[in-house]
Amino acid sequence: MMEGAVDQADRLDRRQAGALVRRLVPMLRPYRRETVRAIALVVLSTVAALAMPWFVKYGIDEGIVKRDKAVLFRAVLANIVTAVLAYVVSRRLIMNLSRAGEGLLRDLRNRVFRHLTGLSMTFFDRSKAGVLVSRMTSDVDSLAELVQFGLIQLISNILLLAFSMVALALVSWQLLLVCLVALPFVVGASVKFQRDANRAYLHVRDAIASTLSRLQEGIAGVRVIQAFAREEEQVRRFRTDSEHLLEAHMRSVWVQSWYLPVIELAGFGTTAVAIGVGGWMAIQGSIPVGSIVFFVLTLNNLFEPVNQLSQLFNTVQSAGAGLRKLFGLLDTGSDVPERPGAVDLPVGGVLAVDAVTFAYGASDGADAEGDPGGEGPIVLDGVSVEVAPGEKLALVGPTGAGKSTLAKLMARFYDPRSGSVTFGGVDLRDATLSSLRDRIVVIPQEGFLFAGSIRENVRIARPGASDAEVDDALRAVGAYERFAALAEGLDTPVRERGARLSAGERQLVSLARAALVDPAVLVLDEATSSLDPGTEHAVELALARLMEGRTVVVIAHRLSTSERADRVGVVADGQLVELGSHRELVAAGGRYAALFAAWSGHHDPAAVPAST
Amino acid sequence: MPDDPRRAGWSLVRRELRAQRGGVLIGVVVGLLWTVARVAMPKLVQRAIDDGITARDTGALLRWSLAVGGAATVAALFTGMRRFWAFKVSREMEASLREQLFGHIVALHAAFSDRSSTGDLMSRANADLLQIQNLVVLIPLTISNGVTVLAIAGIMVATDPVLTALAVGSLPVLNIVARRFGQRLHPASLAIQQESADLATVVEETVGGIRVVKGLGAEGVQQARLATEADQLYDASMAAARVRARFLPGMDLLPSVGVVGVLAYGGLQVIDGSLSLGQLVAFNVYIGLMIWPLRMLGMIIAQAQRAGASAQRVQEVLATPAAIVDPPAPRALPARGSGTGHVVFRDVTFAYHDDGPPVLDRFDLELAPGESVALVGPTGSGKSTVARLLLRFYDVDGGEVTLDGVDIRDLRLGELRRAVSIVFEDTFLFSDTIAANIAFGRPDADDDAIRRAAFLAGAHEFIEALPDGYDTPVGERGFALSGGQRQRIAIARAILADPRVLVLDDATSAVDPTKEHEIRDALAEVMHRRTTLIIAHRPATIALADRVVLLDGGHIVASGRHDELLASNARYREVLAAVHRPGEPAVGERADEEVVAP
Repeated sequence: MMEGAVDQADRLDRRQAGALVRRLVPMLRPYRRETVRAIALVVLSTVAALAMPWFVKYGIDEGIVKRDKAVLFRAVLANIVTAVLAYVVSRRLIMNLSRAGEGLLRDLRNRVFRHLTGLSMTFFDRSKAGVLVSRMTSDVDSLAELVQFGLIQLISNILLLAFSMVALALVSWQLLLVCLVALPFVVGASVKFQRDANRAYLHVRDAIASTLSRLQEGIAGVRVIQAFAREEEQVRRFRTDSEHLLEAHMRSVWVQSWYLPVIELAGFGTTAVAIGVGGWMAIQGSIPVGSIVFFVLTLNNLFEPVNQLSQLFNTVQSAGAGLRKLFGLLDTGSDVPERPGAVDLPVGGVLAVDAVTFAYGASDGADAEGDPGGEGPIVLDGVSVEVAPGEKLALVGPTGAGKSTLAKLMARFYDPRSGSVTFGGVDLRDATLSSLRDRIVVIPQEGFLFAGSIRENVRIARPGASDAEVDDALRAVGAYERFAALAEGLDTPVRERGARLSAGERQLVSLARAALVDPAVLVLDEATSSLDPGTEHAVELALARLMEGRTVVVIAHRLSTSERADRVGVVADGQLVELGSHRELVAAGGRYAALFAAWSGHHDPAAVPAST
Repeated sequence: MPDDPRRAGWSLVRRELRAQRGGVLIGVVVGLLWTVARVAMPKLVQRAIDDGITARDTGALLRWSLAVGGAATVAALFTGMRRFWAFKVSREMEASLREQLFGHIVALHAAFSDRSSTGDLMSRANADLLQIQNLVVLIPLTISNGVTVLAIAGIMVATDPVLTALAVGSLPVLNIVARRFGQRLHPASLAIQQESADLATVVEETVGGIRVVKGLGAEGVQQARLATEADQLYDASMAAARVRARFLPGMDLLPSVGVVGVLAYGGLQVIDGSLSLGQLVAFNVYIGLMIWPLRMLGMIIAQAQRAGASAQRVQEVLATPAAIVDPPAPRALPARGSGTGHVVFRDVTFAYHDDGPPVLDRFDLELAPGESVALVGPTGSGKSTVARLLLRFYDVDGGEVTLDGVDIRDLRLGELRRAVSIVFEDTFLFSDTIAANIAFGRPDADDDAIRRAAFLAGAHEFIEALPDGYDTPVGERGFALSGGQRQRIAIARAILADPRVLVLDDATSAVDPTKEHEIRDALAEVMHRRTTLIIAHRPATIALADRVVLLDGGHIVASGRHDELLASNARYREVLAAVHRPGEPAVGERADEEVVAP
């Protein structure tokens, strides 16, 4: 059973479908030869499928009935040739079509992914990760299903239907007309079937999703269920879901169960008509017996394709819907593109933020703070600050005040609405992206690892780095011995999302990456939650070594960090309200002084939120 | 352990089929009726040609073509019915097995879930059941197909044995080819699935780690990785295409051999007059009728092999006996009063594995009614084990655990677990509203009770601020809450259950240090006059307890008030210091005070 289903909103009208095809055709250009060949082969194989019963008819009418053995043998020979030809053609066809289709899919995957990774942070901020992943998985997969199974069937069924119609008309158009009385019923039933089946599959899809998620919860949450002795209740709820799924399945089976008989009745019923009416015509002498045999053997070619096509309709629809979403993604432009004629950033210099104003863009509903259809609220309003080479600036302030945004603007994760961010006198917007990433490195709160070995995870920061350089980077943060001591050393796989390493060790890998890039500026988001005692100290040491001699901007969640910085900037309500050394700010008696006082002993919960 | 796991798998399928035997029987009967109509049709076509057309008898022609029409109607009717019943039986069996699996999994002891991964159990309850369903749906079809093949072969042999040999001689090969096709295609499809999953992993981690990718300018690296995966997926897909190219055209070719043979030999027979034209046509139609049944007979063998392996994996779970069950003659807890909530661990020894080192070794601990005790110890000292033994997630290897004087093994599990509530470190919330999650242990609780519990847990304020308040959906598919918020909901859940004994297993670890004071008051309120076992790292939480117990090496090494132990016990200071940051203001004498900005 084909279970492709599309939501009403995803249905394509003719104009949209046409637009999709027009965009898809150029993507087939690298596979022009394969595509042209495949089309030719489909035509050939359809002709072959029809030629066989025609040669049988020829053998009967001209050979058997006329008692001409030579003609009979000619018909037999023609059939053998046709069968062998059909075999060869269909082998070639499968390979050709697969090469073109799979090649297209591969290109599409690469192209979409390349485009996706090139999009700006604003895009990722407002899109849900799951939706983006599904573009590259389920949307491409719905196309793949069409390519792998549907396309051959789609084309050959259309051709078979058309050619059969022509062939039957040539043999006896009168008899064909009689048989076509079944066609309106078949078409009507197919339209209804297609609609019902789609609705039924959508139900099945939803029911599967909710049953599986209940199942997953039951398994993952078994401790809680047992701890509260809720087993019976959970089993009862699961049974309800499971029964819903069963009902949904049965509904979709029911749709198939009434539709198939209609098709089969059309095929066999018209066979009866062909024999009855055709036989009468043969007795009258207006058609030869062989023509009736041809009809008996070919009538199924008329109705079976209609069946196949209506089963395929949903596959085609969902592939089209997937393709449209993919093109939609490809049409999303990057907010922080590289300017033509961009220059490399100088190796060092002052990092200067000048009168920067920033607001997050209009959201598409995925963003909680968004204001649909308009611009988001102002996050930063006229902020200016200069960080001298080698200086350490700590940013503190309540959650949502804009300190993270300010730090991200310094690394050009976003571009300011007005004002500018410069490094060594060059506006970041005029710099090449590669030099930007070489000079300014962002270290996020949590060490994020990719599947692969520890070595590969460090090397991701500079793909050309040699093993020795990776080792040196690990040594620079004092983590080399720790990882080299593992059974497989630096080649130890870290599994999905780094599950095998502790949070502290993941952070060490992340710091080693920065060391490998050897940037002039570090933008550091300090972790809020505490690390495991075993690695906490190692991470602190690594950070200290990494920060040495570099310009550092740190989003501080601990006042012990800001205490150690050269200067502290307090961000509140989108503005830099205080800026100065720890000592100066404490002496000034402003917000920072209040925060610090709360921390250093005078317990006052109201003043606590130094962080998060 | 069953003697033969493979046979155990099949016995499971047999048992389920027996439960569905009514449906299976209807499916088979309907299928056979379909067969009769289907097999009769070519015969009727033949009579129409021979008795009607060739004999120029219009009356006979009309009779026979009406008969063809009748057979067509019957066949069409039954084709729908046999499909319906085949699916009905298989889907009902799938649902029944799914429900059995779920019921069994939630009843199985904790040691079982420790051993098995969620993904593995999910695949047994999903992919494996689908394999079984795919086999069962073929059963009624296969039986009627087998009969179809035999009946057609019989009719053909009766007409002309030599022609039969020519017509169907190649068809058994079709059966073999179809079987081999299924066997080859399956691993190729699995390889495609695997490569797709690998590709999805690259996409997922790139999107999940986009800050790292962007921060390091590693877009190119990830693009190269994706290109590699896309190439591997392409190769796997082409390998599957090669399998299809090798087998499918051959499966189409084989029946043609019969058609050609029949035309050549049969044509000569008709010319010689020993065979009628109608019989020749009927032979051709019969060949067409045998193609699908034979292909399917080939496929069902390959499917049976896969389903057998799946049934075995399902049976493995169902055959695992639940180790922790209600006692045959349960005792009841004494009625609740001011003196209840008395917990005693007496001489308890426990190891997670039979041959492993004991985690608890002759462990003794008594919690007086209403007393709160904090359990402190280094990682791996067995703190959480104590909590799990009290809830009877595991049974002790030696000694006993009693609640209000009753050995917990003599209590019904439900009664024990209603009397003892736990808040886990890793908070699990169900895909439901916040209110339903809080009321998880007491579904009949009214809104006021839920709000009171949330208020006590320090959760009321943030819940009210959510878009739908208490009706906000959470869990996997719901609103994303922070770790601290989830823990507070879990605490509310335990509070609402109003247990005799409350266990907090590192339940405040994810609460933001700056918010901890909010729930500290809540905890103090909940613990008031309620027996509480606290497992914690944070001095502020530990200090809430009446008494602190230091656990090391499987037994208690020190016991006393928090400040006494701090002053007198070096090991205690060491254990607490390991959890705290060097260079931070020491916990010291202000230990019960909040650590403001750690």
